Amino acid sequence: MATLPQLIEEDIHRLGLYLQELLRHTEASTALIIDKGGFLITSQGNADEYDLTTIAALTSGAYMANQTIANLVQEANFNSVYQQGERHSIYATAAGEETILVVIFEADKSVGVVKYFCEPVAEKIVSQLKIAHERDPDQGLDLSILNVADTSGVFKKKRSKRSA
Amino acid sequence: MAIINQATKELQVKIVYYGPAMGGKTTNLVQVHDHVQTSAGNKGKLVSLATSSDRTLFFDFLPIEAMSIKGFKTKFQLYTVPGQVIYNTTRQLVLRGVDGIVFVADSQYEKMAENVESFQNLEDNLRSLKMNLADIPYVIQYNKRDLPNVAPVEYMEFLLNNRDIQVPSFNSVAHKCEGVFESLNMITRMLLNKFISQNTPQYA
Repeated sequence: MATLPQLIEEDIHRLGLYLQELLRHTEASTALIIDKGGFLITSQGNADEYDLTTIAALTSGAYMANQTIANLVQEANFNSVYQQGERHSIYATAAGEETILVVIFEADKSVGVVKYFCEPVAEKIVSQLKIAHERDPDQGLDLSILNVADTSGVFKKKRSKRSA
Repeated sequence: MAIINQATKELQVKIVYYGPAMGGKTTNLVQVHDHVQTSAGNKGKLVSLATSSDRTLFFDFLPIEAMSIKGFKTKFQLYTVPGQVIYNTTRQLVLRGVDGIVFVADSQYEKMAENVESFQNLEDNLRSLKMNLADIPYVIQYNKRDLPNVAPVEYMEFLLNNRDIQVPSFNSVAHKCEGVFESLNMITRMLLNKFISQNTPQYA
């Protein structure tokens, strides 16, 4: 299975600029780049307005489910999902093998415009990921600083009310 | 694969609860959601895509931000899969990008065949995603130990934990939150240690 390349701050910065450009052109409220496993990679726009972690997980699931449905009806050319709402609509399109570009926009905005501007941005995301792939794979953070030998207390159970 | 966001100092990992239908996977998530000690705002909503009869249709999803480890915010994404045999395609989708697995087995004698089938199904599905169970941290949880008709743990170990390397296993009564946090903390420990020993981690 292909995996995400190592991304550094410069990559995240550039991906953020692409999303800002997309928001400017489309007048959409929020744009996200997510991984097909459900992780949120980065976002721009009204991040505080939505639960983007959950939106990333569910959008990834919905996209992958629709892709599987497309395969079941022998539709090979599948690369986007459009959820039409009364207030907000969502458009999700593939950006390479591993990532999905998601745009949340007001329903009175044209989905055609969103689709039109998503295409070049998705290509830029793919190009940036390619640059990251080709970068020295050893470059980056030394994970040993995490020093997580004892994680027994990472998840603690609340005391029951009787013993509290 | 897990994501380490160097820009925001975040670590994101995906843990999937796997096992036979009605074994207690969703109950594990519900108990974690209800009892986990977190700072305000660090626990997300428990999202359940279930049928009207409370059977998981697609997955349950619980995001939790645990304590900071050496300055890194650790964000855990807990998923369950639907246990029913017919939903195998859905299980494959949820397994994509998995970092750690909690296999929730049903301890009742009559469920042993389903446990074994589900475990084999897990291995098959990982193979279809070009992953190997031997490379993924996992723990086994023997759930429903409070019922009268349970199989001995030794027998369940023989059936489910009989590979070259035995993994940690826990007795649990998920609806009473017994064994739930023990399993979660152990899989967390295993997968975080795996990240340290890896030479090529994921960065974001």
